[in-house]
Amino acid sequence: MNTVVVAQLQRQFQEYLVSLYQQGFLDNQFTELRKLQDEGTPDFVAEVVSLFFDDCSKLINSMSRSLGRPESVDFKQVDSGVHQLKGSSSSVGARRVKNVCISFKECCDVQNREGCLRCLQQVDYEYKMLKTKLEDLFNLEQQILQAGGTIPQININ
Amino acid sequence: MTVEQDCVALDQFPVGMRVLAVDDDQTCLRILESLLHRCQYHVTTTNQAQKALELLRENKNKFDLVISDVDMPDMDGFKLLELVGLEMDLPVIMLSAHSDPKYVMKGVTHGACDYLLKPVRIEELKNIWQHVVRSRFDKNRGSNNGDKKDGSGNNEGVANSDPNNGRANRKRKDQYNEDEDEERDDNDDPSSQKKPRVVWTVELHKKFVAAVNQLGFEKAMPKKILDLMNVEKLTRENVASHLQKFRLYLKRISGNQQAIMANSDLHFLQMSNGLDGFHHRPIPVGSGQFHGGAAAAGMRPFSPNGILGRLNTPSGIGGVRNNLSSPSSGMFLQNPTDLGKFHHVSSLPLNHIDGGNILQGLPMPLEFDQLQTNNNKSIIAGNSMAFPSFPTQQSSLPNNNNHLVLEGHPQASPSAFPGHQINKRLEHWSNAVSSSSSTLPPAQNSNSIIIGHQFDVSPLPHSKPDSLEWNTQNASSSYSIPFFYYDSSQMRQSGNYGPTTDAMLSSNPKEGFIVGQQKLQSGFMGAEAGSLDDIVNSTMKQEQSQGDLSEGDLGYGGFSSLRTCL
Repeated sequence: MNTVVVAQLQRQFQEYLVSLYQQGFLDNQFTELRKLQDEGTPDFVAEVVSLFFDDCSKLINSMSRSLGRPESVDFKQVDSGVHQLKGSSSSVGARRVKNVCISFKECCDVQNREGCLRCLQQVDYEYKMLKTKLEDLFNLEQQILQAGGTIPQININ
Repeated sequence: MTVEQDCVALDQFPVGMRVLAVDDDQTCLRILESLLHRCQYHVTTTNQAQKALELLRENKNKFDLVISDVDMPDMDGFKLLELVGLEMDLPVIMLSAHSDPKYVMKGVTHGACDYLLKPVRIEELKNIWQHVVRSRFDKNRGSNNGDKKDGSGNNEGVANSDPNNGRANRKRKDQYNEDEDEERDDNDDPSSQKKPRVVWTVELHKKFVAAVNQLGFEKAMPKKILDLMNVEKLTRENVASHLQKFRLYLKRISGNQQAIMANSDLHFLQMSNGLDGFHHRPIPVGSGQFHGGAAAAGMRPFSPNGILGRLNTPSGIGGVRNNLSSPSSGMFLQNPTDLGKFHHVSSLPLNHIDGGNILQGLPMPLEFDQLQTNNNKSIIAGNSMAFPSFPTQQSSLPNNNNHLVLEGHPQASPSAFPGHQINKRLEHWSNAVSSSSSTLPPAQNSNSIIIGHQFDVSPLPHSKPDSLEWNTQNASSSYSIPFFYYDSSQMRQSGNYGPTTDAMLSSNPKEGFIVGQQKLQSGFMGAEAGSLDDIVNSTMKQEQSQGDLSEGDLGYGGFSSLRTCL
């Protein structure tokens, strides 16, 4: 094991992770998730976020359908989708996604279709962006492991 | 059961406490599962409320605690909460992203022992075991007339941590205790406090209601009820707790709607009974659904939203047993005008659909034919095997609850049946449904049907786990859902809706129903024709292939997709 390489990768990892928090992509809940990962469940976080992104995709699709026709928007369905998205995003620590959901809900409450469509777009953008970021993060993790190192537990304040 | 006597210090508890977690959101469910594991509980998860109920009913002693999300597509979490409380008497914790106090209040009034907000933190989960201990502790205290076994320090600690709760419980228990000072037949020995759960069958409940009526609802005391019922092995405690639930139930529904609660007892029973009898063949729930829809059509006058919701659940579950009336089916009928409610029900068939042959195998009793002649559009059970001996007690339900108008169904269909007939019809209906035979007489319009008079002793089949397999098959699952859904909405309007509806309403119910079902099934599959359907289907396929929690997903996916189609 090349300790220099490992150390380097670990630092990179740490910096990247911290930046995600600083940029508001992630919040404390993500930290909690990382804590739940252990030797017994080494892929826990990756698994959960993967489920989350699946959910996002599904929900966004269905909400998109509901908002599809201006004359017959099912706001109830949209509201339920937003609610669920908010719940799951807050559970994984996807802070930006969650925040969009809050605005999204407001648009839904007043039945503002335009507003909803904008929020929908934004949610879509945010989750995809987060997905990319986390993929990069997991890649770094893999590199560390492959180089024989361990993934640092980082305390974000 | 591992966690037993609360009075006895349990060595491992709370380690290994068995929790059932229910949440349709797979992300949250996965996280919850992991958190619970971290707390060293034994966890079972499901993303369908329906499945959860089945798991609970399968073996009442399999779980110590239930944690459930509030917003679930197949069944409202509050409904699940009520059912679990009534049937299994397990502590239930609600989980939600809604922090709105009114939801929390709803949770409390429906009997939740706690309400957690998402995202859930592990600290909160670390203490949930207290609810299990508390509930056992309270039960023991109640049944322990005078010899309060304060037992181990654990209990003391727990009890003290929630003095109000304990006091309230004590008061309630004392109320019941008053009456039976002369009889201490209950185990004075605290160590044997754990009693086998009593299953409140329809028969038993009928007796109970009869006794209550005889004594006068307000004055009914457990001891006297017990005496009147004259049932062996039933203890005063059983009656007391059932009475308590019954009262709460009535209070709740009386607050909810103006609907005639004639069926309230049935409805109640269904809810509380847990459809224990329904552990038999996997009767297609769809039939129940059907009935529900049919009944709904006829049940216009009813608008018991609350009831419907509740009814839906049990009916779906218990609805399909061969030869058995499915009170639940009655439930479907309950609220014709509330389409929204049906979607709850639709989830029911998910579990029961047996390749879509809902009605197959159910014998069709002759009586059913008679029913057919009724103009009512109530659900045609058709297969009533045996007329339930509906006791007049129902009609004699006291009027302190105005809804408790059992007999007086405005729509009581004429024919040969007495007031109870509706019940019988309901029964038959459920029977019919289960028998699949096809004879689906036109829905009869009796309100009573809706109310789930079907309460009958005939046990409703409980969809066995394997009967749930259909869930994994897109076709069947989606089949069941849409089937029901069409049903309810269309039955109401007697228009030409889905194939099912038509079939159902046709004069040849038998054929109609079966055909309808088949059509529905193929119709669903063939939804690919439409563009919207394409989207839906492709989405569903994607969802399915995503594999996680296949059962739930498919059902859910199918359902939601279908709904959109509609």
